[in-house]
Amino acid sequence: MSAVENRPDMHKVDRLVEALAREMARRISRRRLIGSLGALLCGASALPLLPVARGAPAATGPAVADAGDPKSCDYWRHCAIDGFLCSCCGGSSHSCPPGTEASAITWVGTCHNPGDGHDYIVSYNDCCGKSSCGRCLCNRNENDKPLYMPFMSNDYNWCAGSQVGIAYHCSTSRIVGLSK
Amino acid sequence: MLWALGLLCGGPIAAAPLPNESASTEQLPPHPGPHWVWVNDFNFFSMADGRAYLVDGDSGRMLGLISTGYSYNSVLLPRSADLIYSPETYYSRGTRGTRSDVVTLYDPAHLQPVGEIAIPPKRSSNMPMAGAAALTDDERFLIIYNFTPAQSVSVIDMSARKFVGEIETAGCSLVYPTGRRTFFSICADGSLLLTTLTDAGALASRMRSAALFDSMKDPLTEKAVRVGEVWLFASFQGTMYPIRSTPRGVVLDAKWPLVTAAEQAQGWRTGGLQHLAVHRASGRLFAIMHKGSLDTHKNPGTDLWVYDLRAKKKVQQITLRHKAGSIVVSQDAKPLLFTCFIESNVLDIYDALSGSYLRSVDSLGQTPTIMVTP
Repeated sequence: MSAVENRPDMHKVDRLVEALAREMARRISRRRLIGSLGALLCGASALPLLPVARGAPAATGPAVADAGDPKSCDYWRHCAIDGFLCSCCGGSSHSCPPGTEASAITWVGTCHNPGDGHDYIVSYNDCCGKSSCGRCLCNRNENDKPLYMPFMSNDYNWCAGSQVGIAYHCSTSRIVGLSK
Repeated sequence: MLWALGLLCGGPIAAAPLPNESASTEQLPPHPGPHWVWVNDFNFFSMADGRAYLVDGDSGRMLGLISTGYSYNSVLLPRSADLIYSPETYYSRGTRGTRSDVVTLYDPAHLQPVGEIAIPPKRSSNMPMAGAAALTDDERFLIIYNFTPAQSVSVIDMSARKFVGEIETAGCSLVYPTGRRTFFSICADGSLLLTTLTDAGALASRMRSAALFDSMKDPLTEKAVRVGEVWLFASFQGTMYPIRSTPRGVVLDAKWPLVTAAEQAQGWRTGGLQHLAVHRASGRLFAIMHKGSLDTHKNPGTDLWVYDLRAKKKVQQITLRHKAGSIVVSQDAKPLLFTCFIESNVLDIYDALSGSYLRSVDSLGQTPTIMVTP
């Protein structure tokens, strides 16, 4: 194991897993404490970079920094997604459609945003509890890894970690941090 | 004259009426034909309604179907029992309610359930692949990979038809049998976890190997094929890793390239959902190949490359009629090769020795995934 930990490439994995762990902790906290201050702070931290991602798009108009159509498979955040795009299903790139639950944990990828030149860690939370949305199927596999590397694999149904069971509906592409 | 009279009267000849028919149900022979194939469909657009289709490759006729529940992976076909094993998941309200996981036993002649074994509701839901469940070599135990997302396996005694227990495989995934009581799982750091069972199906021992491959620089696809004591894994960049089971554990045999440097420079690589197949008697390995970048490891292929496993050399190239993401080959002396692709629902059938296209079967399910031959 130590040989692995010394590999430069694994630092990237460590960062991804760290981001995932922080995100998981945030989500669990949110379920227990409505209006959790931690969740607000986490959301606020992304605001200066990508106003559309967390804020209200109507207030700021088109955001050049987050250019692209979330309903299109080519949208930059979907670089490692595998499933139906929630933006086509009544949700958005970071929210689940009504009546579905976002998976508590999931896989993460790193996507390059051509709008601002940054690389972002993107969490591909599945939305769970209903039958497949069936719209805007999208499979991109940038840096996707096999099933034996779960947190880098888009071949799992991540509804496995949800409270409502494994019925898969659609997938989101949420920004959870900058990839440094 | 009667014929002419019939024409003059503007109608067909009056013939004896067709006999009445009684309602009946077809029955299959108890043993499968050598060219039968099961095509599993996890029905991605309606996952609660998984299916497995049975097709006769010689005639192209669909023979029957079994209904297999939510997020279906694959049937398993034991040689030692006239049964079909099928790990399945159901919800009491279709997509919600109480989850129940079972191994259903089907009668192969009637394609009807004849038994059911309750297992923990933990069966991994993932893109279907052969490593999600497997029988030990004596077919006594069925091992099912669990992902909740905690990783473990469920052990089921198929002789006693009962769940035996759960064995943790933290950090390691899937199931690759290597003997009567042994199997390995692949770990995220490139090592393998070898698990040994007791004769009662309990954990006897666990052994973790050194890292056998670099999971970050050139991962192995988990869609391996087995030839005797060797599991063949292809890496993303086109190197074959033969992993051999020995009495002292698993070892890596000499690696060999699937592509030459020139072919690699052209972008040739293997990919798909079930992208390797072996015809054991002839020692031929079939690999689905396409041209693409490194992140195209799930793309379907335009060609099949055929290798002589003894010489470790490519000996044939077959251009496919339709792109394929999955292949399987029958194991008889005149083998058929079957191909399908999840984004299509057409099964193509080839002569596996000559590579000649024979026939297609269309409208087979919605999202066919992996195939199994007897």
